[in-house]
Amino acid sequence: MKAAAQGGVLVVTRHPQPGRSLARSALDTALATAAFEQPVNLLFLGAGVLQLLPEQDSSDVGVRNLRKVIDSMPLYDMEHCYVDAEGAARAGLTATDLPPGAILVDHTALRALFDSHRHVLGF
Amino acid sequence: MLHTLNCSPGHPAVQDCIALLQQEDALLLLGDGVYIALENSQGWQALQASGATLHALEADARAAGVQHRLAPCFTLVDDAGFVALSELHAQHMAWY
Amino acid sequence: MTLHYCLLVLAAPASGHTSLTAARFAAALLARGHTLSRVFFLDNGTSNGLATAITPQDERSPQQAWSALADANGTELVLCVSSAVKRGLLDSAEAQRHGFPAATVHPGFTLGGLGLLVEAMQSADRVVTFGAPA
Repeated sequence: MKAAAQGGVLVVTRHPQPGRSLARSALDTALATAAFEQPVNLLFLGAGVLQLLPEQDSSDVGVRNLRKVIDSMPLYDMEHCYVDAEGAARAGLTATDLPPGAILVDHTALRALFDSHRHVLGF
Repeated sequence: MLHTLNCSPGHPAVQDCIALLQQEDALLLLGDGVYIALENSQGWQALQASGATLHALEADARAAGVQHRLAPCFTLVDDAGFVALSELHAQHMAWY
Repeated sequence: MTLHYCLLVLAAPASGHTSLTAARFAAALLARGHTLSRVFFLDNGTSNGLATAITPQDERSPQQAWSALADANGTELVLCVSSAVKRGLLDSAEAQRHGFPAATVHPGFTLGGLGLLVEAMQSADRVVTFGAPA
């Protein structure tokens, strides 16, 4: 087994918002972990990167605007989030679309990110 | 890392999982995921190529009727076997 | 070696049998000598604690599978309060507050905040998540 589980929780969010509430639950879990001052990182993986589309207007569907919540993460001391670079490219997301503090991770770095956390939560 | 894969063949979670899977990992198929291990299907070759050890949950394989039709690279594990896999691997990632 | 586990259940009983798999996993880890002080149910997983869900006679009830575990081992079954109330899962306090006549949460379960998940993860050697496709 490869070593290096240093600590902290990696919340992996893989489902886009509209159809399911999982994206919101992943975000709430990450924010709650940060609020209790525990080390936590959030990774948008695969179709999960679609949560980052910048022009979200959910007023007509009657749910909270997820991108606004994501943009508020620095208020909870989550300065950075990780974004699957391949998934972002597939979705046509460019650097200017991403929230401030987003770090694009390529395939190799992705695995290292998983390995550097004590616990992983797959949403 | 222990991975569990709980979705039908062709679901995007399969590709996401394969991209992360490495030789030192274990993969356990759950729920509809057991169909991925069907010997005559096309889904498991990429899993095998990762070099990870491959398993299917016995209860789910039997429920689906695939228990005697699995590709030979898969071993069936019972609930205790599932726990044993989680003992060996400090992290678990659920793909679904 | 005894390991301390924390389980996170995101799968609803209505979408397949993943939540029953989770309950069997919990029983199996206890049988192997490990410990499990809390199971946290979040998102659709909170439906596992719905008292008014009627399971057909030839199927296994997830409410019973989980509460048997709690009775035998003292494992806490916590439903995320915000996910739960959104889905109509109210304990007696929430029912009273919102003007409903009775609780809809099975007595084996309690409502609690995400802080209880954070706390359980902090002390756990293993965190295992159970989710299901939509």
